[in-house]
Amino acid sequence: MDFGSFLKSPEIKVKVVTYRDIFQDKAMIENRFGEDYRDRSAIIKLDSADFKQLNVKKGDTVTLKNSFGTIVVKAEESGYEPSHKGIAYMPNSPWSNMLVSDETGGTGVPKFKDISATITSAKGAKVTEPGF
Amino acid sequence: MEKNYNVCTGCGMLCDDIEVESEKNIVNKVYTACRVGVAHMKEGRESAVFRVDDKPVDEATAISEAVAILKNAKNPLIFGLGTSTNETQKLAIELARKTSATLDDTSSFCLGRVVEALLQNRFKACTLDDVRNKADVTIFWGADPSDSHPRHLSKYSYFPRGTEKQRGWEEDRTAIAIDVRKSHTAKICGNNFFQVPPGGDAEFIDALIAGLSGKLPKTSYNFPPKRILELANILKGAKFGVVFVGLGLVYSLENLEPLFRLMDALNEKANFHLIPMVGHYNMRGFNENLFEETGYVNSVKFEDGAVKHGPEYSIVEALKAKTVDAALIIGSDPLSSLPRSIAKNLLEIPVISMDPCETLTSRSSKVYINTAISGVESGGSATRMDGVKVEFKPVVETKRLSDEAVLKKIMEAL
Ligand code: SF4
Repeated sequence: MDFGSFLKSPEIKVKVVTYRDIFQDKAMIENRFGEDYRDRSAIIKLDSADFKQLNVKKGDTVTLKNSFGTIVVKAEESGYEPSHKGIAYMPNSPWSNMLVSDETGGTGVPKFKDISATITSAKGAKVTEPGF
Repeated sequence: MEKNYNVCTGCGMLCDDIEVESEKNIVNKVYTACRVGVAHMKEGRESAVFRVDDKPVDEATAISEAVAILKNAKNPLIFGLGTSTNETQKLAIELARKTSATLDDTSSFCLGRVVEALLQNRFKACTLDDVRNKADVTIFWGADPSDSHPRHLSKYSYFPRGTEKQRGWEEDRTAIAIDVRKSHTAKICGNNFFQVPPGGDAEFIDALIAGLSGKLPKTSYNFPPKRILELANILKGAKFGVVFVGLGLVYSLENLEPLFRLMDALNEKANFHLIPMVGHYNMRGFNENLFEETGYVNSVKFEDGAVKHGPEYSIVEALKAKTVDAALIIGSDPLSSLPRSIAKNLLEIPVISMDPCETLTSRSSKVYINTAISGVESGGSATRMDGVKVEFKPVVETKRLSDEAVLKKIMEAL
């Protein structure tokens, strides 16, 4: 068994891959500040092994953190085959953008699809509000 | 009987076969469009909103405040325009010239490089209609049209019976997905889905090029060489191939060299075209209009009649270096779409937001002008993702001003 699972709140490292989702896009057009858009954006899809290690249930909140930002979103198992331990998927949104590096090497292009973060359980905590 | 078809401006496909039913300038029913298109066509609603410093004002006050901001700025940023008509974009270029502004759009951090290369004839181009009628092999690379351009596969790239492709997807077409994730499009491609690790595209390209010339394709992540050779064989047999380039591929490449190499190699053995998977309905139009005026597709700065270009004039670098002292954002929401670590610098300068809907940017702006939905409540022309010009009339009327009308008023007052 992984040592991590003995700790009170295990922390795992993931690479976050963002993607687009038609249902989320539609929700955004209808209302960017609506519940539907938030529910379809503020989520992270994890490999089942990572999910188990975090000791959370579907819909529990988790904290994603790196040096650029911290967000609380809902976790779910991706259901993707084959296993993608260490890689997590998230729809592209203001939430995922809170974790994107400001390093661009002067190119004008942020590394939107190259996000590293740690995840811990945030059971009971509310999903982050994306406002400024 | 002549039917009255509308154009959907919900994405870069600009589908021109949409029928709607409307009453009292509200669209009630939308036929033929996809889920996103229906939501987009029905977006129209309330009467005009103008705000300054979070307080409701009348049109004249909002316009004069916007003008004052632009007048006071030494280096204003004009940004957005991906969901504006060609006519609006041309006005914005004129305005940028007049105000010595930095002018940019979202393409500087997405597909601009690819469109630029296309305009410089670095790739063989074709239209979506060619794809529908002739394409036998299509590659979706870092692109998932099933989610981003929902009617792409059914209208053009996979399912239809085109003039020279009467047997459609069952026999006449092969669709291939190359992606880091088994997307909805990848599922449709079945066994022709090639999953690469994040950042692994350039290596995959070189392995594929090796495979195309019969060499052993190698990758550091040990992608089965046999599968790459199988893929190379399919591609070699293409009579009319198309590579649809998505953001997944562009973000994974440091520059476009691997893509140039690949397209050249493919065209040595077969016949391959390229179409960028442009998201916003008229991002390509912006690139083309600016290219025509300046020779650049984005990231420019006008100064004393001259034009400068470079990444330092992209929204990202301009905000990072804090070189711009005001911003006019047209139909775009950088506070949502840029990394927060960069976008937050917008909060330090006066922002004018012109947008049909409330966004994080409109809510944080000094001046907000609620404009008509381009393509639904106002008409004009636009350039489809494949470069084809499309004209459209408004579907319903509105009291809200089009972004074109607002820009005209600002220009007059300046
Ligand atoms: S595919 Fe794009 S243009 Fe066509 S109906 Fe859907 S959103 Fe509109």
